[in-house]
Amino acid sequence: MTSIDVRDLTKDHGATRAVDRLTFRVEPGRVTGFLGPNGAGKSTTMRLVLGLDRPTSGTATLGGRAYATLDEPLRHVGALLDARAAHGSRTARDHLRVLAASNRLPGRRVDEVLEEAGLAPVARRRVRTYSLGMRQRLGIAAALLGDPQVVLLDEPSNGLDPEGIIWVRQLLRRLAREGRTVLVASHLMNETASFADHLVVLGRGRLLADTALEEFIHARVDPRVRVRTEDGADLRELLARHGYDAVEREAAGDGGERWIVRHARVDDIGRLVSEAGLPVLELAAQDGTLEQAYLDLTATETEFAARHPVRPHPLAPPQSPTRSQEV
Amino acid sequence: MPFVPAAFVTAPFVSVLHSEWLKIRTLRSLVAGLGAAVLVTAAFSALAGLDTSGDADSDPLFSAFFGVSFGQIAMIAFGTQAMASEFRGGALRTSLAAVPRRGRWFAAKTVAVGVSALVAGLLTGCASLAAGRAALGDRAGATSWSEGLRAIVGCGVYLALMALFAAGLTALLRSGVATLSILVPFLLLVSFVVGDMSGNVADLLPDRAGQVVLHQTWDGMLGPWTGLGVTAVWTSAALVAGTWSIRRRDA
Repeated sequence: MTSIDVRDLTKDHGATRAVDRLTFRVEPGRVTGFLGPNGAGKSTTMRLVLGLDRPTSGTATLGGRAYATLDEPLRHVGALLDARAAHGSRTARDHLRVLAASNRLPGRRVDEVLEEAGLAPVARRRVRTYSLGMRQRLGIAAALLGDPQVVLLDEPSNGLDPEGIIWVRQLLRRLAREGRTVLVASHLMNETASFADHLVVLGRGRLLADTALEEFIHARVDPRVRVRTEDGADLRELLARHGYDAVEREAAGDGGERWIVRHARVDDIGRLVSEAGLPVLELAAQDGTLEQAYLDLTATETEFAARHPVRPHPLAPPQSPTRSQEV
Repeated sequence: MPFVPAAFVTAPFVSVLHSEWLKIRTLRSLVAGLGAAVLVTAAFSALAGLDTSGDADSDPLFSAFFGVSFGQIAMIAFGTQAMASEFRGGALRTSLAAVPRRGRWFAAKTVAVGVSALVAGLLTGCASLAAGRAALGDRAGATSWSEGLRAIVGCGVYLALMALFAAGLTALLRSGVATLSILVPFLLLVSFVVGDMSGNVADLLPDRAGQVVLHQTWDGMLGPWTGLGVTAVWTSAALVAGTWSIRRRDA
């Protein structure tokens, strides 16, 4: 069992702090989504874990060892950082042969991962002729070359066609099922929601959340129930009596009115309308999406930043004492 | 092998060296660069030999190695490119993720570049001497076999040192364009201009010093092997600086 342990990790690029006292652990057997806006420090953290950048302070270890102390690390850790890393004048197969040779990996692994990534028919073509999606597949193939226990991928779905996106999703699920440690950085919310079990969210170099995907969404987005009925007034009255707040969304084109009940579970609403004998044309749960939860989190963060400014904005009006007390 | 450091004979080093050798072999432009060094040198040595207007007191041995001044540009381009390919599109990150011991990685790269350049350089020496002397015909001065052999070996070592000089500088500057825009004008202009004033510090420039070995006679302070020694000092300095840069800086 190999986990990635990041402890008090800090990285300064000159005056800017790219990673700020970051502590988290990536556990094996699940896919951990690594979220955050551009410039939040995701890629820097990955480079620090791989020993490519030196931390200003703190440590990053894999199974208790620093990456730089591993002999033949591709046998333990596979990473995709940048799909452009393969030299355009080399063939995909030669690119992988070079990597395999450096870690004494058997040559058959090269053909196996090319097959797995769907690149076998174009393996002897120069990487220069590849589309971004094909380069991405090559980068993922390179990450899988040593059959590693730990896999780190930075934006693996970048530039992939729909089949490629599905392939990546299934691949990540399979790797986690096999008990491997999988960390995937992304800023595509819906994509991440489709493969991640766990989330680590960064904002301006700091840890904003380290929690299970389900929990993350439920803690931030209230579940809603959608009801379509021909008798909106009765529905509203019934729900109001039970303390629910129903709002009409729009007249449904397919007949009836569409209502949204906030802070409600579909089981409770279903039981209620059925007991009241109210005719219902459609009843559906509207679970929160990762995107909503993420935006809620970043909005809270922005609010926090606005309320605790490092230095007042020159154009901002001076705050009265009463206003700051409200806070 | 009692004089070889342990890091150089362990299995990991050999596998990294194999990988770096594959990198050179699988890039057509690098192989072409080595081929160009051989052909350009031989061609220019032959052309210079055909030119009958040359001054009579030119060195009989060096006149068959005249093309080295041009062939070394191809060799420098080879050393530069071999290293510069690591600084494009995050390739260095891929390399160092595979071989995180940066000293070991850089040593393997150096050996792969150096040995390739040495082999091509020895071929260049043979081709240049043969072509140059053929073109000179009867005008070829009397040179002994041992002098010819010394010049061929010296040519190989000199070109390998120049390729490594360029590789080390590229690792320091992290850019092939920067390296070539320093070295090529330097070799084409500075050395030609300053070089005519012999018997001064210009003799200690890497190319002037290293090319003494291609001459039958010399009058400066450096002999054939001490001259190559001076070039080796320049190359070592560039490689040490390159190692420092690779080991210390973020990839």
